[in-house]
Amino acid sequence: MSQFEYLRHVSIGQYLPLDSPIHRLDPRAKIIGFSFLILAVSISNNLCSLILALLVSTLLIAASRIPFSFAVRGLLPPLPFLVLIATLQLVITPHAEASAAVFGVWRILIYSEGILAALRLLLRFASLLLILTTLTSSLSTIEMINGLNLLLKPLQQMGVPTENAALLVQLTLRFIPFLALNAEKIAKSQASRGAKWDTPNGNLISRVQQIVPLVIPLFTNSLRQAENLSTAMLARGFAGSTARTSMHIYRFTLRDGVFLMFLLITAAGILFLF
Amino acid sequence: MAALIEILNASFQYHPQHAEPIRALSNINLTIQSGEFIAIIGANGSGKSTLGKLLNALLIPDSGVVQIHRMDTRDPGNHAAIRTQIGMIFQKPQDQIAATIVEEDTAFGPGNLGLPADEIRNRVAFALSASGLTDYRSRPSYLLSAGETQRLALAGVLAMRPLCLIFDETTAMLDPAGREMVMEQAKALHRQGTTILFITHLMEEAAQAERVIVLNHGNIVMDSSPRKVFNQNIEEIGLEKPTALAASKMLRPFIPSLPKDILTKEDLFNHIPYYDGNQSAPSPAQKQTTPFQPIITAKNLSYTYMLGTPLEHQALDDLSISIGSGNMHGLIGATGSGKSTLLQHFNGLLRAQSGTLSVFGMDLNNRKLDTQSLRRRVGLSFQQPENQIFNQYVGDEIAYAARQLGHSGTLVNAVKSAMEAVGLDFLAYKDRLTYTLSGGELRRTALASALVTKPDILLLDEPLAGLDPLSRKEVMGYFKSMHDAGLTLVLSTHQFDGIIGEMDAVSVLQSGKDIAHGAPTSIFFAKDSKLPGGLKPPFAAELCAVLRQNSWPVPAGIVQLSKVIEMVAEITKRAQA
Repeated sequence: MSQFEYLRHVSIGQYLPLDSPIHRLDPRAKIIGFSFLILAVSISNNLCSLILALLVSTLLIAASRIPFSFAVRGLLPPLPFLVLIATLQLVITPHAEASAAVFGVWRILIYSEGILAALRLLLRFASLLLILTTLTSSLSTIEMINGLNLLLKPLQQMGVPTENAALLVQLTLRFIPFLALNAEKIAKSQASRGAKWDTPNGNLISRVQQIVPLVIPLFTNSLRQAENLSTAMLARGFAGSTARTSMHIYRFTLRDGVFLMFLLITAAGILFLF
Repeated sequence: MAALIEILNASFQYHPQHAEPIRALSNINLTIQSGEFIAIIGANGSGKSTLGKLLNALLIPDSGVVQIHRMDTRDPGNHAAIRTQIGMIFQKPQDQIAATIVEEDTAFGPGNLGLPADEIRNRVAFALSASGLTDYRSRPSYLLSAGETQRLALAGVLAMRPLCLIFDETTAMLDPAGREMVMEQAKALHRQGTTILFITHLMEEAAQAERVIVLNHGNIVMDSSPRKVFNQNIEEIGLEKPTALAASKMLRPFIPSLPKDILTKEDLFNHIPYYDGNQSAPSPAQKQTTPFQPIITAKNLSYTYMLGTPLEHQALDDLSISIGSGNMHGLIGATGSGKSTLLQHFNGLLRAQSGTLSVFGMDLNNRKLDTQSLRRRVGLSFQQPENQIFNQYVGDEIAYAARQLGHSGTLVNAVKSAMEAVGLDFLAYKDRLTYTLSGGELRRTALASALVTKPDILLLDEPLAGLDPLSRKEVMGYFKSMHDAGLTLVLSTHQFDGIIGEMDAVSVLQSGKDIAHGAPTSIFFAKDSKLPGGLKPPFAAELCAVLRQNSWPVPAGIVQLSKVIEMVAEITKRAQA
């Protein structure tokens, strides 16, 4: 039973510190390349393109040495919904008047257009999931922040304070697991003194009545922690005004360039080849 | 050469909203030279942390001057330089972590200084290896254990290469091994020339410093060598003598050869003389034992957190335990050995992933378990009271369980008697705001909230951590009277020295397994007994062993200091007769 393990349900930044060619790439190459690939897969509507996308995303998973079982497990929770939507696609996709039904079940006729639409949906979903898994497992939050920081640097010249924006993202991400842990502690404390946290049946009103006493102390506790953190940040030399530096220097090498070109060409191929 | 730190007539007040200002420090004068090792002690609320924060310009004195190498903290232009030189490690290490990855958090400070990437990497590598975290470089910072988080906090400060380090009750939440590690690190840094200020509640730690500063109600009342300070009457201001010193004072009437300036355990043990008198051993009075009636029985419990994710870790591993009705049962073990996880099984907060558990004969594996009636009879008080208190007023906080689960008599009387059981005055505290309470008051409030339903079993998770000596002694007294009144107490603790004599049974946990259990006397004296890393036998047991090595006919198996003294008295009396 893990009803009080809130952290387990927080999946943001499931970074897997593996040593693979993909992990070693410059974050800028990954951010730009993967963004275009995701865009291409999202808008492409051609069966052959999506098959190509699935092949490429499988290749990416293999290249980043992510255990295949880990990648596929992400597919399982939404699978029932996917099957439902795919079934609907099968049935309700409009078809050309001239086309003949491929087969019929009871009084429902299935046309080839429906089968193709359902296939496209499943292919699109599977390749998007694999691509996103590759990206989040191979790009740590800090690489993402540093990468975005470097990409946004031109804006800094125009006077936009991107440096602090990146720190803000970092602190927000740092607080997510802490909020989950704080909520867990308060809920446990309330439950062990008789709050009915573990009885699942209850109407909406009683659920809301349960949440309010959790949220208020959660905020006061978290504000206190935020205050402690800001004190500690000052003590650790944070001044806000001066430019911070990073321990990483990213050099965009030939390898990064080749990888980025590969992803961009693949994205173009998915969009325009077929 | 100028002193590192110079404080001239500094005073500081806190100004809470809608309330009278609180005077934290009055007219402090203090000079600290480079390279000193100083302990700062004082009861809760004596101004220790405030003093620390004045030194790195987190607080600015209302009047008077604080100078670091002649740099005045009132000038904001000096703050960057001051904070680079004076590093501070706070009591709650998890609150000072700024990044989600260990290595990145260590780089936060140097990054703030605007150092080049090469230099930051060098410093990070140095700081991580100095605090033993090199292998944890790419771990998520929020999944570290308490001891590891502590080391990360230290690494973050070391990466700044400070001249002076302030440890602000850094060791309060750590197990003995963790505490010793922090102390060893402080000493190693001191040998390399770093000035150390060690704020602590533990007199054994203070005794290891070169100089001890004692604060009381915002004033420096003593400032001298540990030997001089601890020979004063510091009990008057809520402190205590280091155990070895207290023991040597009690032993001297019977062993007159003990020197007067004993401060540490090693001092005392080296001065125990060889005994060549009558070898017949006095027998210790046997503790009356009531027949063992199990009230909690667990068999083969296992529990894994984050099950089914790449981050899963096992907390309980095939653990079996049986706890007797009316017993005080101690769970001891290093941090991360599974004590908290086990306690949370006993009132049904966590359910066994495998194995069986019954409490009062109720089957806790039953999905349809009546948790309300279970929790009315099993109170639980968590580690770190500030995280479990969720009401605005002390009275409401304590009444919560009674309102949810029922109580005997009127609500007011139930709350009142729960408060009295832990020494909180009903009228003085019922309308106090919970966030204004001190550490000791928070702990008492948390205990009263668990006691209000008059449970039969009280589960206590590290109830003595972070308390000053006086509160620790008082809270232990309350546990003793609850135990005498027949309540079953299950408590997990690192600091078992003062309470171990009260315990009927002890289980030693390591990596989620019960590696030893039995009466406290047998645990610490069994021939093959190996205490897991992170634990030390109680002082009395060690003293007992040293006496026996020196041929004193002291019976084995004593874990209370007062009993050891009684035995020594008895032996010397016989020798004279």
